[in-house]
Amino acid sequence: MKKKSFKGYIYLAPVLIIMLVFTAYPLVRAFIMSFYEDYNAVNGTYSGINIENYRALFASSDFRTALANTTIYVLFVVPLSVIISLLIANLLNSHIKFQGLFQTLYFLPYVTSVIAIGVVWRWILHSQYGLLNGILNFFGIESIGWLTDRRYSMASLIIFAVWKSLAFNIMIFLAALQGISPDLYSAARVDSTPRWRVFFRITVPAMGPIIAYAFIMGIINAFKVYNEVYALFNGAAGPNGYNSAITIVFYIYDQFYNNKKYGIAAAGSVVLFLLIMVFTMIQKLPAKIRARKEAAQK
Amino acid sequence: MKTKRLVAMGIAAVMGLNLLTACGNGSTSSSSGSGEGVTITFWHAMSNAQEQSLTELTDKFNAENGQGITVELVNQGAYKDLESKLTANAAADTLPDMAQAYNNYVTDYVDKIVPLDDFVKNDFDNWEDIVEGYRIENSEYGFISGLPFNKSTYPFFYNKTMFDELGLEPPKTWEDLETCGAVILEKKGIPMLGYDSMCDMLEIFLRQNGAQYVDETGALFNTPEGLEAVEFILGLYEKGYARLIGEDSYFSNLMSAEQIAGYVGSCAGVTYIVTDNEGHEFELGVAPIAQGKYNAAYNAGTNLMMFTKDEAKQKAVWEYMKFLTSAESQVKWSIDTGYVPVRTSAYESDTYQEFMNGDTPGAITARAAYGQAPYGYVPSNYFKGANEIRNKVSDTLTMCISEGRTAQETVDALVQAIDEVVK
Repeated sequence: MKKKSFKGYIYLAPVLIIMLVFTAYPLVRAFIMSFYEDYNAVNGTYSGINIENYRALFASSDFRTALANTTIYVLFVVPLSVIISLLIANLLNSHIKFQGLFQTLYFLPYVTSVIAIGVVWRWILHSQYGLLNGILNFFGIESIGWLTDRRYSMASLIIFAVWKSLAFNIMIFLAALQGISPDLYSAARVDSTPRWRVFFRITVPAMGPIIAYAFIMGIINAFKVYNEVYALFNGAAGPNGYNSAITIVFYIYDQFYNNKKYGIAAAGSVVLFLLIMVFTMIQKLPAKIRARKEAAQK
Repeated sequence: MKTKRLVAMGIAAVMGLNLLTACGNGSTSSSSGSGEGVTITFWHAMSNAQEQSLTELTDKFNAENGQGITVELVNQGAYKDLESKLTANAAADTLPDMAQAYNNYVTDYVDKIVPLDDFVKNDFDNWEDIVEGYRIENSEYGFISGLPFNKSTYPFFYNKTMFDELGLEPPKTWEDLETCGAVILEKKGIPMLGYDSMCDMLEIFLRQNGAQYVDETGALFNTPEGLEAVEFILGLYEKGYARLIGEDSYFSNLMSAEQIAGYVGSCAGVTYIVTDNEGHEFELGVAPIAQGKYNAAYNAGTNLMMFTKDEAKQKAVWEYMKFLTSAESQVKWSIDTGYVPVRTSAYESDTYQEFMNGDTPGAITARAAYGQAPYGYVPSNYFKGANEIRNKVSDTLTMCISEGRTAQETVDALVQAIDEVVK
């Protein structure tokens, strides 16, 4: 038994070493760095060990905006993306014509560079000659300054991000859909169950674990959003000098590389780490409760 | 089951990515200290025509240096990427042998720059031949920290066809900016002016009005001259003579689409202006920027810095640096790219003079750059926080303009933003 587990560790060693070097070590370093005042990451000097960085962090209006924006982003993008991709995956799975073509089309955003997509979306969302405003005008709605009016920055970002994140979700949902036993659907057909009922009573429950997975991955990724902001606002975090679409990672990057405030950047990443950890734990609660219930029933 | 497989695949993919990035950082090669067969790495941020010209120069150096020196060019992307990578590698002590850099990139690792004073003293053809502003810039840290290489200035690019049609000359003074702006807005309904860099625009106008901008103690323009300059800037935008870039990426694009009559931006950007779009064909004009009570024109561009600690490599880097900044190389480089020569002798050479008399966009730009060269200044940004101040000033000024704030409110907001960084 012991020998067996030893062998297992050897198999795992390459991955474990990589994770120690590239994940665990930076994590610890960042944590320590976050307590160094006026830290210079290049030559390693600092003026004191205290919580000054955290104080500066929460005193910064940009960071508070980043916290709020990231939360809004997570709350909108993840559920919207999961729901829409579930519907699209279901449609793609219903033996329509050109199924392969559509699958490829929906998967394209996943393999295209965010920056390239950003260029296209900057055009779609352009206030004067953008496609979206063109459509709105057609229906008699006045043009909206998607990328110029700071009140709409987050809305634009969310639209862009939902579209961008559909691809991955659709792919994993399609895979899961094809794994559901056709017998269940045949049985439902025999009973002439309405389609919406088939969807909610068979499809969704059968896909429970994969939907949960999509949620967890979606939330973790959404907390780390950076590229989407950068791409949409051409390297800034909002229109006309406003940081109205700033996110936590954008703030951290800005502090580290542009402002060279390494300690504050580290403190920001520790806060982000804690946030993601708490959210992931909350998400795992339902599964745990269910497992406990099932165990109790037995 | 499927879920598990997917998760496993995901993890594998992430691991693969990690490995890739890990490999990407180990680019500096180690070579022995012997003079023969030295290979040096040069990190740069040049692309398109600039990269091509740099490659040609480097190929020539590699073939002809006669000392077995091989220069490896490594393109690190845009300036911002280059800066980030230099910072990260300074922390890991894996800086390249040499790199392009602005002074404000290196404020946190000045001690890692190899001082060039001895090299210049013992083995350099005429330090005095280097344009004075660049000599000052490269001595800001108290020693010679680099050699100027790709230097640009911001001239005024304009739609000459439109100006001619309206009987206008490119603006030479602040008053001209207003009168030209008014005519173009009235006749064509478009703004005349845009600025690629908001913080540099502010400094230009401040200097032209006899005000100072900023130093390590904070903002210096909370003065009557400063207020007057800011008021003038705000007026240009308020009246619609100038516009912000907003959601459009570059003024060169707006210019190509004839949505703006002119803009002030880097002379190296001339290649991005398209003058033959269907329905938007026009002749490009380039002129020195309008001047105020005092003359001032902004100079930008990076310097070459040396980082290697290996003595043999230092010698090799120096040979290459001398080659890149030689009059001959500078003439070719400037003609190819639109940058301005860093040496007076390069300016005065027959080849460059002949080039400037031509009528290509590059030649017209070079003439304008030459015209404002006597007023050129290099902003000092060697102090800590200089970079953050640039970003904050650009953001705050844009914000104040878009909100239509008054001059005093704008000055107050700018001063506060700068002092927050410096304090």
